[in-house]
Amino acid sequence: MTLLTRKPGRVAVAPPAPLRGRRTGERAWALAFASPYLLHLVALTAWPVLASLYFSLTEYNLITSPRFVGLDNFARLFADEVFWRTLGNTAYFAVLFVPAQTILALLLAIALNQRLRAMALFRAAYFVPVVSSWVVVAYVADAVFNPQFGIANQVLGWLGLPAQDWLQDPALVIPTLAAVAVWKGVGYMMVLFLAGLQAIPEDRYEAAKIDGASAWNRFRYITLPGVSGTTFLVLVLTSITTLQSFEQVFVMTNGEPHGASEVTVLYLYRHGFQFFQMGYASAVAWVLFVLVLALTLVQFRLQRRWVHYA
Amino acid sequence: MRRLPAYALVLLGALVMLLPFVAAFGNSLKSFAQYIQVPPVWLPDPVRWDNYAEVWRRTPFGLYLANSMVIAVLAVAGNVLTSSMVGHALARSRLPGRQALLTMALGTMMLPTVITIVPNFVLFRSLGWLDTMLPLIVPYWLATPFGIFLMRQTFLGIPRDFEEAAGIDGANPWQVFWRIHLPLAKPALATLAVFTFMASWSAVLEPTIYLTSPENYTLPIGVMSLKGEFVGNDQLVTAAAMMSLLPMLVVFVLAQRYFVRGAVSAGLKG
Repeated sequence: MTLLTRKPGRVAVAPPAPLRGRRTGERAWALAFASPYLLHLVALTAWPVLASLYFSLTEYNLITSPRFVGLDNFARLFADEVFWRTLGNTAYFAVLFVPAQTILALLLAIALNQRLRAMALFRAAYFVPVVSSWVVVAYVADAVFNPQFGIANQVLGWLGLPAQDWLQDPALVIPTLAAVAVWKGVGYMMVLFLAGLQAIPEDRYEAAKIDGASAWNRFRYITLPGVSGTTFLVLVLTSITTLQSFEQVFVMTNGEPHGASEVTVLYLYRHGFQFFQMGYASAVAWVLFVLVLALTLVQFRLQRRWVHYA
Repeated sequence: MRRLPAYALVLLGALVMLLPFVAAFGNSLKSFAQYIQVPPVWLPDPVRWDNYAEVWRRTPFGLYLANSMVIAVLAVAGNVLTSSMVGHALARSRLPGRQALLTMALGTMMLPTVITIVPNFVLFRSLGWLDTMLPLIVPYWLATPFGIFLMRQTFLGIPRDFEEAAGIDGANPWQVFWRIHLPLAKPALATLAVFTFMASWSAVLEPTIYLTSPENYTLPIGVMSLKGEFVGNDQLVTAAAMMSLLPMLVVFVLAQRYFVRGAVSAGLKG
């Protein structure tokens, strides 16, 4: 703490002449400190955005230089049934996954927020899937959803229900993937909600109790508005990442069975890195980018209607 | 008693979270015959710890582990250093345009990774970096938006008196940063480190795109490649997957509170 005990007035007495030099020096230092990000902006932000926009208007196979083709890639893309099906699969996955994960995360956070004993232990349990890679999760999920020797079918058997093919059933593959994704991601979102819940002032609940508000009404009129900001954030974050989900499907099903789980980024990956159609892949990327952007803007638009900021 | 439903829900949830891991771990200790037995056997009998030894004997697991370690350690070092430098400049300097830089950092957090996949591949290819670790490390040495934001917030919270006192003693900005501010920012640095480690350790897309020779594989794609080699030996691939989780799990257990803190500060960015 000796650093803090400087003599008052000492700075003010400093002569003005060297101050100018000091300021330029300071700027040079600041520029040096910021330089990694300046390089990042050029190489990893501006370049990719501009280049992919350009590539999307070209035919580019990495061997010969890009050949300008106008909007051909987009025309081909919009005419491709497979592309539309991947968008449908992606949307179906998102519609199942995003609400399920959000609601479960909120419920778990509310339960954990009751000042439960061993809360840290529980929180840790929910975080183990979060820190696992998708490759690990694929094997863990296989122990559950393998049609022959998985636990899920064993449990269905105990309940007298018919066994399912899960990831190998075209009708069930996306719901199963969504369930696994919720299992993997819910712990992270739960922690976000816990932080949101803990920011709600305790005296609001006290006051409501005194006024005789029921538990449901306290939840409806205090908790829900109180975490609406967090909910909004969770919805925006998860929908952005969900539209771009790749790793889970790549590792767990690779689009099978019969393309029933082929998502749009997997489609992009195949065209770009298996067929080396970089122009076409860039067009896919831009369509997806516009969709993500549109969805985000809509969410920001709608937030006024339901998000309460204390 | 009033908290009983809450306990029930949380306990049930914790079981759902952990039982699959227990089942997969059990699978990794079975013989193949037992692995595919219907109905499933919960407890392997006999317990074949040798499966793990066999993975080490028969696969380049140690090599994958070393590759993943080198990449993760260098990624962490780079991101922690450069993000705190940039965060420091944004929080402390009078650099013109620093507000715009901050806005851009926040904006690029929203930039979908899909946009960058193809151009980055083209860029790294033209630099001759394909099938090397560089594309998996160098981007972390150019600071990440999340890291910049986290470190900026942290440095803003440190009282100015500290550096003024040090400035008088004739320290240059680097010395102020290195000797005074960084040590005070240790919790945030730890948070950034664990999140970077997790991102690097679990990455699938980038290693798949950039690494082509098996001797360069990281653990996730190395383990994935075993699937094709070990048809009819899935218990061994499961054992390899379990082993690949172990270092991550150790980091998580040691640094749990930083994971929670990071999750929350990532949430605050919006």
